[in-house]
Formats: sequence, C-alpha cells, structure tokens
Amino acid sequence: MEVEDAPLDDKAKRMRDLLSSFYSADPPPSMPANASSKYATLDTINTTSFDADQYMNLLVQKSSLEGLLQRHVEMAAEIKNLDTDLQMLVYENYNKFISATETIKRMKNNIVGMESNMEQLLEKIMSVQSRSDGVNTSLFEQREHIEKLHRTRNLLRKVQFIYDLPSRLGKCIKSEAYADAVRFYTGAMPIFKAYGDSSFQDCKRASEEAVAIIIKNLQGKLFSDSESIQARNEAAMLLKQLDFPVDSLKAKLLEKLEQFLDNIQLESGDISNALVDHDEPSKQGKFPVSVPSAAHEASTHEFVEAIRAYRMIFPDSEQQLIKLAQDLVTKQFKATQEQIKRQIRSADLLEMLRVIWTDVLLMDEVLPEAALSDFSLEAARVAVKQYIDTTFSHLLHNVSDALTKVQCRPKEGVEEEYSLQSSLEASKKAVTEGSTDVLQDFRQLLDDNTGLLVKLRDLIIDWVQEGFQDFFRKLDDHFLLLSGKTNSTGQDQGLTEGTQKDKVLSGLDLVLAQLSVFIEQSGIPRITEASDSSVFKNSIEIAASFSGGGVRGYEYGPAFVPAEICRIFRSAGEKFLHLYIKVRTQKISVLSRKRFTTPNWVKHKEPREVHMFVDLFLQELEAIGTEVKQILPQGLHRKHRRTDSNGSTNSSRSNPLRDDKILRSNTQRARSQLLETHLAKLFKQKMEIFTKVEHTQESVGTTIVKLCLKSLQEFVRLQTFNRSGFQQIQLDIQFLRTTLKETVEDEAAIDFLLDEVIVAAAERCLDPIPLEPPILDKLIQAKLAKTSEQSPSSS
Amino acid sequence: MQGASTGIGYGLKYQARCIADVKADTDHTSFIAGTLSLKEENEVHLIRLSSGGTELVCEGLFSHPNEIWDLSSCPFDQRIFSTVFSSGESYGAAIWQIPELYGQLNSPQLERIGSLDAHNSKIKCTLWWPSGRCDKLISIDEQNLVLWSLDSSRKTAQVQSQESAGMLHYLSGGAWDPHDLNSVALTCESSIQFCDLRTMKKANSIEHAHVRNIDYDTKKKYILVTAEDESGIHIWDLRMAKVPILELPGHAHWTWAVRCNPEYDGLILSAGTDSAVNLWLASPPSSDDTASESLVESPKRRVDPLLNSYSDYEDSVYGLAWSSREPWIFASLSYDGRVVVETIKPHLSRK
Repeated sequence: MEVEDAPLDDKAKRMRDLLSSFYSADPPPSMPANASSKYATLDTINTTSFDADQYMNLLVQKSSLEGLLQRHVEMAAEIKNLDTDLQMLVYENYNKFISATETIKRMKNNIVGMESNMEQLLEKIMSVQSRSDGVNTSLFEQREHIEKLHRTRNLLRKVQFIYDLPSRLGKCIKSEAYADAVRFYTGAMPIFKAYGDSSFQDCKRASEEAVAIIIKNLQGKLFSDSESIQARNEAAMLLKQLDFPVDSLKAKLLEKLEQFLDNIQLESGDISNALVDHDEPSKQGKFPVSVPSAAHEASTHEFVEAIRAYRMIFPDSEQQLIKLAQDLVTKQFKATQEQIKRQIRSADLLEMLRVIWTDVLLMDEVLPEAALSDFSLEAARVAVKQYIDTTFSHLLHNVSDALTKVQCRPKEGVEEEYSLQSSLEASKKAVTEGSTDVLQDFRQLLDDNTGLLVKLRDLIIDWVQEGFQDFFRKLDDHFLLLSGKTNSTGQDQGLTEGTQKDKVLSGLDLVLAQLSVFIEQSGIPRITEASDSSVFKNSIEIAASFSGGGVRGYEYGPAFVPAEICRIFRSAGEKFLHLYIKVRTQKISVLSRKRFTTPNWVKHKEPREVHMFVDLFLQELEAIGTEVKQILPQGLHRKHRRTDSNGSTNSSRSNPLRDDKILRSNTQRARSQLLETHLAKLFKQKMEIFTKVEHTQESVGTTIVKLCLKSLQEFVRLQTFNRSGFQQIQLDIQFLRTTLKETVEDEAAIDFLLDEVIVAAAERCLDPIPLEPPILDKLIQAKLAKTSEQSPSSS
Repeated sequence: MQGASTGIGYGLKYQARCIADVKADTDHTSFIAGTLSLKEENEVHLIRLSSGGTELVCEGLFSHPNEIWDLSSCPFDQRIFSTVFSSGESYGAAIWQIPELYGQLNSPQLERIGSLDAHNSKIKCTLWWPSGRCDKLISIDEQNLVLWSLDSSRKTAQVQSQESAGMLHYLSGGAWDPHDLNSVALTCESSIQFCDLRTMKKANSIEHAHVRNIDYDTKKKYILVTAEDESGIHIWDLRMAKVPILELPGHAHWTWAVRCNPEYDGLILSAGTDSAVNLWLASPPSSDDTASESLVESPKRRVDPLLNSYSDYEDSVYGLAWSSREPWIFASLSYDGRVVVETIKPHLSRK
C-alpha cells in the first residue's frame, strides 16, 4: 500500500514542479544541486541535474533483472502519463490564449469612438469658462462700489452717534437715565481714545463735560442719604463702570462715617462728663443721665443705619466697617477707662457699660461678622478689671494717706498728742469703710444684669477676691515700706537726737503695729462677713464660689484666704511693735552710750545732783508713754493693780523710803561680799526679764524700760569706777527707781534690773562705798522738787 | 530649753569675759579663759575636754597680774597666748608663754615673752595671724592699729607698722581676714573699716553703726558676720557691701559675740546679754534676689534660721569659741565665770 502511495505522491509533485517551472523561470529549489553527486539515487530523475547515463548505470548496478523489467514497465507507464499530461496542458493554454486574443480584439474596437467624445467635452468646458470670466469682469466694479458704500455708511452712522452723544447724554441726564448714558459713553470710549485728540475734539469735550455732570450727579446720589439704598448702590456700580476711582469714594465715605463716629464719641464723652457732672443729682433721680443717653442712643441708631447702608453699597467694605465698629467700641471703652482712672462709683461704671452694651447689641445686628459682642466682652473685661484694680489702689492710697498725715500734721503746729491717735483712727476708718464701700460697689456690679456683666460675673468675683488678697498683701508691703523708711531715717536721726520728726516717725511704727492688729482682729472678719453676705444675696452658687475660694481659685492660687491675711498681719503687727521698741531703745542706747563713754569714771567727782542723763532718759520714756497711750489699749487687770499700788501721791512718796532700805542693804552687800551676791543670785529664782511683748501700753512701756536698764547694766560693766563714779550711778539709779515705779507694770523685774545696775557698778568699782542714805535721800528729794516745779509749767 | 542638759560646765573663780580655743593643740580639745576681777588676783585657766568628752579638766591655772579684757591663743604654739588687760586707769597688752612642766600645778608664773606697749589709749583686742606659723599679730586700741612682729626666742615684740584710724573713729575691735591675709576688718562707732596691712591704709568701709563683734566666715570668702547691740546679726558679702545679704534677729538684748563655725558652712553662733547662746543656720539668699528686703520679703524663707537657743546661763554671755579640732563643739563663758562646753551634733542633721 505504501509503495503505491509514494509513487502517486511523487507523480503529483512532479507534475506541479513541472508546471511551475513552465510558468516561472526559476528552478524549483526543492533539490539542492550537489545532491546528484553525493546521493546518486534513483530519485534524481525529477531533478534538473538528472544524468540519464548515470541513472542507467546505477539502476543496472542496483536492481535485479526483475526489478529492471518492472522499472521499465513503470517508466513506460510514466512516460505515457506524462505525455497525456503534456497534451492536456497544451490544450488548456491554448484555449486561454484564444480567449485573450478575443478580448483584446474587442477592446480595440471599443476605444476607437472615445477620442472624439473627449475632444468635444473639452471644447464645451472651455466655452463655459470663458463665459463665466466675462460675467465676472462685468460685475466686479459694481460690487466693489457697493461694498465701499456700505462701509461708509457704517462709519457715518458711528460718527453720527458720536456727534449725537453729548446731546444724548444731556437727554439722559435730564431724564436721569444714567445707566443708558453710561452705556453710551462707554461705547464711544474707544473712538474717543483713538481720535479724541483730532477730529472729535469738540465732541469729546462736550461728552466729557456731560459725563462729568453725570459723575457729579452720581456722586451726589451716592452721598445723599435720602436716596434709596438701591439707587445708591446703582450709582456706585455706574461710577465704577465709568472708571471712576470708587475706592477713594469709599474711603471718603468711610471717612465721613468716621467723622460721624467722632461726633458720636464727643457725644458719649459728653455723656460721661455729664455722668460725672451730674454725679450728685443722679443719686436723687435718673433724669439727668437718661437725657444724654437718649441722644446718644439716637446717634448710635444713625450710625447703625449708616453701617447697614454702606454694607449694601460696598459689599467688599466689611472689613473696614468692622474695624470702624470696633473702633467705636474701643473708643467707648477708652473713655470708660479714662473715667475709671478718675475713680468713679460703680453705678456710673454700670451706666456706661450699659450704654456701650446697647450700642454693641445694635451694631451686632447689622454686623454679625464683627463679633462685636465678643470684642466688647473682652474690652469690658479689661475695663472691669481695671476698675477693680484702681478701686483697690485708691483704697490703698487712702489708707496710706491717712497714715502719712501723721508726718505732716505736727509741722502745722497741731497738738501732737492727738495726731497719732487721729491717724490711727483715720486709717482704721479708711480700711474698714473703704473696704465695705468697695464691696458695696462690687455688689452693684454683680447685681446688675446687663448681658455684658452677667457673662463676666464669675470673673468679677474672682477678681474681687484676688483684689482683696492683693490689697492686703500690698498694704502689708506698704506698711513695711513706711516702717523701713522710718527705720533708716530713725537711724540717721539717732545722732541728732530727739527731733520731732523722728518721734513722729517712730510713732508711725506703733500706729502700723496697732493697725495691723486691728486689721487682723476686726477688719478681716468684717470684710469676710460682708463679702459673704453680699454675695449670698446674689445667688447661692456664687456664694459658694466666693467663700470657697472659687473654682478658679485652685488654678491661680488661693484668691482670698482670710486666714492667711490674718496671719500676715499678726506677724506684721508683732514686727512693727518690735521695730518700734527697737527704734526707741536704740535712741536711748545712744544716750546711755554717750553718758558712759564720755566721762572718765575713774576720776569722777563727787555726785552733787542727779545727772542730766536721767532727765533725758525720763523724757524719752515720757515721749514713748504719750505715743503708746494714744495708740495702744490698756492692759486691764494690770491697770487695776497699778492704781491700787499707788492710789495717792502720799503712798508713792513713801515708796522711796522703803526702797532706800533695800538699796542700802543691797549696796552694802555688794561692797563686801561679791561672791555672796552671786550665790544669792543663784538661789534666787531666775528673773524672766525678756517676756513676750503684748499690744498694751504697759507691756510696751515696760519692755522698753527693761531693755534700757539692761543696756545700762552692760554699759556699766564695761567701765571702771572710782567711789564717786559709783555713787553717781547709785544716785541716778535710785532716782530712776522712784520715778519708774509710776510708769511700768512689772515692778519686780524693774527692781531687779535696777539692783543689777548698782551691783554691776559696785563690781566695777575700785572702792565701792555707797552714798550715805540721808545724803542720797536729800539729793533725790531736791531733784524731785525741781522736776515738780518744772512739770506744771511744762505741761 | 532642753538643750541645756547637754552642756558640760566648769567654774572659774571670778567673773570673766574671754575664752579662746587653743588652736595649736592638735591632740586635745582645749580652751583658755581669763578672769576679769578688779580687786582679786586674776587667773588664766587652761581647760581641756577629757577624752570621753564628758568632763572639763583644768589643765593649768596661772595667775595673771591684771583683769583680762581680751585673750587670744597663738595659732601655732599652744603654750603662747596674748591678753589685753587693765587695772583702773592703766592698760596693757602682752604675750605670754605657759612655762614648761606646768603640770606640777604649784601655781607657776606665766612667762611674759612680749609686751605690746606702743599704745596710748585703751587697748581693745589682739589678733594673731590667722593660720600657719607666722609670728605676726595685731593689737588694736581706740585709735590705732599696730602690727607686731614677735621674736619668741629673744622674747621681744617689735612694732612693724602702725596706723591711726583718725580722731573721730573709736575702734572697738576687729577680725583678720582668713582668706586675704593682708586685710583686717576693724569695727568703730559708725562703720566697719577694712585696712590693708601692706600699705596700712583704709581700703574700704561699710557704714554700719554700733558693731559689737565681727567674724569672717572661714569657709566662704568675702563673707563677714557682724553683731550689733540692738539690731541683731548681719551677714555681709564684701563684694556688695551696701546692704547685708542676710539679717538674723539676734538676741532679746544685745548680741555680744558672733562666731562662724570653722568647718560647717553657714553655722553661726552668737552670744547675747540676754543670757543665751543661739545657734543659727544662715542660708544666704540666692544671688539673684535683691538682698535689701531679704528678711521681710519672701515668705518662703520664713523657715526659722534659729537652730537652737542655749539659755542655761545665769548672766550675760560674753565669751564664745568654737573648737577648731572638733568643730561641733563650742565653749561659752558667761559673766559669772561659768564655762559651758556644748556639742551641736544633734543639730547638724537639721542643717
């Protein structure tokens, strides 16, 4: 089967190859050229390089006879087949050739008539073209002419329009159709721009004049308040179209508004002035206040209307308007602050705030973007805070004024006795009344229910608390400052002893001490009570915040802590008292120092009388006594005892005699047995000399005397005495003993200290023989007589 | 006060004003005290704290010709000390040497190795060169400051230089700056004056009246402590001497003496005529706040600077001395002749 297939295929293939080689010159590339030489096979029969002899040889060599025979048969069949195929091919091709020639023959016949037709066509087209050219040339001139005429007509129309423009504008002006006028004018504008300088000069001028009138009219319209807002708005728009500098117009308008504002300002200033002027009458009735405020309200209304209008006219001017409105508010607050500086009552402040608030509300309606209420809230906050601050500082000022009056009054020659007392009273009054007044004021602030203040209420409460705390702190500082001044001057004055000024200054210390005590003991409780109650009336929750230190109190430190203030003033009181004592003792110390360092004690002369030093000493004590008596209260039970002990002058006369005995024994002991006194001292209960000072006349006086006597003792211990020196000391001390009895409360301690001075003198004496008692007594009596002679005249 | 029980007492026979630490004695804590008796024979007591610290032992007792107003111990020789003395109108100052073999205690005589007799007014005090072996000392009288050079072997003291303070200034005492050995602070009636020893001229002054006693802080340079009659204790910084940097309330009466602790910073001891000795802890304000209102201003420093008050005394306390060997121990001497040695150890923890 396969054998049969292969030759069939071969046959077909060979056929195709042959055919193809027939139609195309190219040899079939199926067989490579060298195949014949290398693979000399039987297949080469189909190739171009077929060598018949070689093929024959090969066939003969390879095949058997039978094979050759078969091959022969096959070849003969093949040849036959090929011949028929060839015949077929030739035939077919011939057919094709015949039909082709037939076609060509027909084509040749058809083409023959064409030429003439084409020529005919060309001819016709040529004639059409020439005709159309003819038409064209004949119509050209006319068309040109028509076009020119048309252009001229347009131009003429425009020229006509321009020439008509002034009159048309005039007509528009007459009929107030500004919008049309502006449209016309802007239409003509480019022409004017191009030819305005040459051909249309007159025209341009005329129309410009007209436009100027228009602009003027428009401006007038814009500025006139009587026109409707739309009309004004339109006018503004038109002006803008006319390239008129609208911004400057706007600026002008706003300026006008500002001026208006200033007017309002003046009025409001008037109001505040009126408020102050009518301060007194306004307490009786509200009438004088309400009149100017009504006027003010009207002007504010006007302002608000203006703002509304401008906002419509110039929609982009909001910022400026806001600024203006804020300016107004700030100005008002400025005026308020000016007033605050002048120390006004809170009612007036309230009135002013209320006016501002109504204004702000009005404006807020028109200009919600300005957030004026917030703005004014902020400003009001500042104002109220300032008000509170100034009130407190005024209070402080008043108090210190009351205090410092002490310093100037004695110079005027007013009796000094009362100056300290009066200043104490005045300053006490200033503190309490001032603070209650302040509280009342603040209460009014709180009671008011203007929107502004309602929002600020919590803040105000805090501020008031802080203010009080601050006020008392400052007061304390101020006191310190005052006393510091006195202290430093006091030291300077120590040398030029005993001038009036010095006395008063040291007295001031005492006043301060007592004032501090007063503030601590009654001032603060009163104020706390008042503040509590006043707030309680307002509302319960605020009261809670007030007395509890406020919610904000924790953040900002305690707002008002009465206990702390009390503590501060208690310590301040003690400090001032000690300062007073210090200053006074320092002065006496200077006296004693002089007394003990100047004379040569070893060469002292016999005592003839009580030394002048004692007088000075007693004078100082007396001065202290008068100061102390004015300011400090008496210690009650002490006083009783004292009056009991020297109820009459007789009994006080008898005292020295008794003391003499004590003294005599003392001095004798001192002279002979020094060691014994020491032993005695050891067994004696230790004398408490330096006890706590109380705020009483006696306590202060006694403390000063004690300190001075102790100083005397120390001074004595630093010297060495001869007998006369010792006797002088003895005499002086003995005299002091009689006189001091009357002024001091702690007699035992004073006695002890006086003894100590004498003992010290005895110890430091080379020859301690005391004066004979009769002589001593005589000298003392002489001195007493002398002083009693002087005393009626002096007092 | 409860602090009183810790004190160890020792009685001098007579009244006394001055006590000093024997700085040169490095083996024992010793003090030297002199009596002030106008009519009796005065004594100098050498007192030693027993090794247990429980007892004061009299190590030597020497008679001194006159009443002793001031006494200071030589910083390099424990046997040498100087005194200022007077009797009636006469006055003098001398350097003494404790004789060797004084342990036999048969009242040996002090050996006078130098007389400081260049003075013509009342002598106030003597000051030794603060530290080291330098035989210089200063004596101060009411008007003059005299620098002496001591030759202990030849037993003479020579005036090296002398400076008069001027007629109007009555000098009352002084202190030698331990940090600047050329500078001496002198107290007079109305001011503190600083004298440069090289030129013997006034270098500086602080206007401050009635200074009773003065002491330099041995630890901190430029710090000076003063005690005044009425106004307590002031601490000064010499670099800004206009106002004190700190003010302590002092005593109920005069503050007589102040001493800075040689070891612990800021510990100040003061003795007063109110029969008390106060121990202070001075914490000067930080440099940024102004010193003027230092005491009154800030409530933060209301912390009491007073650490303790020793008040177990019968009379005014004039003598006060820290021990340089055991700086937590101090000796105080009240007018009645009682020496009390106290330890501040319980208070050191609070520092």
